[in-house]
Amino acid sequence: MSFVIILIKASLIYGGLLGTAAAMTLAERKISAWMQLRIGPNRVGPGGVLQPLADGVKFIFKEEVTPDGANKGLFRLGPIMAAAPAMLTIAVIPFAGETTIFGIDFGLLSLTDLDIGLLFVLALSGLSVYGVILGGWASNSKYSLLGGLRASAQMVSYELSLIMTALTVVALSGSMNLREIVEVQNTGNFLDWHCFTPVVGQVGLILFVITTFAETNRHPFDFAECEPELVGGFHTEYSSMKFALFFLGEYCAMTVMACLTTVLFLGGYSVPFWEDAPWIVQVGTFMTKTAFFLFLFIWVRWTLPRFRYDQLMNLGWKIFFPIALANLLLAGAVISLS
Amino acid sequence: MVDLLFYVAAAVSVLCALGVVVSANPVQSVMMLLGSFTGIALIYLLAGFQFLAAIQILVYGGAIMVLFLFVVMLLNQGDPVALAREQGVLHKEQLAGGLAVAGSALAVLLVAVARTDLPRPIFGYLWPEGGLDPLLGMAQAMFGPYVLAFEGASVLLLATAVGVMTLAKRQRNKPVAAASTSEEASA
Repeated sequence: MSFVIILIKASLIYGGLLGTAAAMTLAERKISAWMQLRIGPNRVGPGGVLQPLADGVKFIFKEEVTPDGANKGLFRLGPIMAAAPAMLTIAVIPFAGETTIFGIDFGLLSLTDLDIGLLFVLALSGLSVYGVILGGWASNSKYSLLGGLRASAQMVSYELSLIMTALTVVALSGSMNLREIVEVQNTGNFLDWHCFTPVVGQVGLILFVITTFAETNRHPFDFAECEPELVGGFHTEYSSMKFALFFLGEYCAMTVMACLTTVLFLGGYSVPFWEDAPWIVQVGTFMTKTAFFLFLFIWVRWTLPRFRYDQLMNLGWKIFFPIALANLLLAGAVISLS
Repeated sequence: MVDLLFYVAAAVSVLCALGVVVSANPVQSVMMLLGSFTGIALIYLLAGFQFLAAIQILVYGGAIMVLFLFVVMLLNQGDPVALAREQGVLHKEQLAGGLAVAGSALAVLLVAVARTDLPRPIFGYLWPEGGLDPLLGMAQAMFGPYVLAFEGASVLLLATAVGVMTLAKRQRNKPVAAASTSEEASA
């Protein structure tokens, strides 16, 4: 019975993740069109809603090209390493508290409840950089290699600030278990959410959101791609479903990062003024919060211009990292004083 | 089940470790090393050390191996496979020497393991019934009895990093105006 429940949860959560990623590809184009006074995709299905499906079919039927001199094994490994870590990390995100549907006890609405949940997410999302580096190197193309090298430097640099900022939340809630982090904030009073902790919370939230942009290689930090300089960056030589897998990985990583921001700073599934809300309200609340951050990803992409590469590195090492350290220190002070 | 998983993880880490030495392509070697580390992380996980497993992946997999890969790619001159074919990866003497060193290390290790009184069923044995909080125990040990050693090690590492920077910078006669970003990253 418990095996069946896990199977149901797994198919729902992974289906939801892939569905969200697919919907994001459409949302990106629709919202960018809206921001630029265009119409956007509207041919496939009502209002263009079937566009992601059509894209999928198109990608599958495209010819696969492997460039001459490419390292075949690593060239294949690249897209897998880009997509798999992002898809694995969703396993520890709690979408709702204890759930009973039609008298069947589903337990916590997440795939597993790990004591080291946050570390699991950080460790695996750190691995996604391999997809970019390997894809760039194995393609045997200078643009790809440059894109891969830039991305590796960028992701390793910003990972530090990301981990430091996440540690602030760990210090505030006294646990690395994502369920416990949410439960600390789920008191019925939304002022207990970590983002409302004076100074520490706000600085942490802003830092965390910006570093997730850098970690997922999104605008304004998308130097791994950077069309005007590098053609297409690390995925210049990729075609067909391999290329699609890079994109799927990027959108999955965005979704997971949006979920993580929600859990860490916005109280996850906790509903304002309603401590033990039914699971469906909790899931709805969680999705609303996550959707805001997903919208923010798109909003920023079509609003801000791209940084210069040295600006990006200076920002990461000379501004974000010291602020993240100071914030952690401040969090320690706040905890020991209260 | 745990036993089976242990043998799978052990086989993966040993085979990957062999792959590190055998593969002609340095990038492939780095990826093999990553596989080996992942296998070891799995063994930690099976023994109940969740925290150690996650740190193994985070530090070695996510940071150190990325830097290795970074350096290997920057130093990559020409086609490594063709280079290896020209020079031959393993000469007979090299092979013999390597095997001798590896064999003697293995012998020492086997003797050490045989002489140590280990608790028999290693796996499924170390953690108590309700599971143990891997973080709390680790943190209490690290910041309790071993706090001096821990802080000492971190000061040592910092000193090493500063020393490396000083040595590397001294060899350069003129400071380059635009200090390359890659150095900042690896620092």
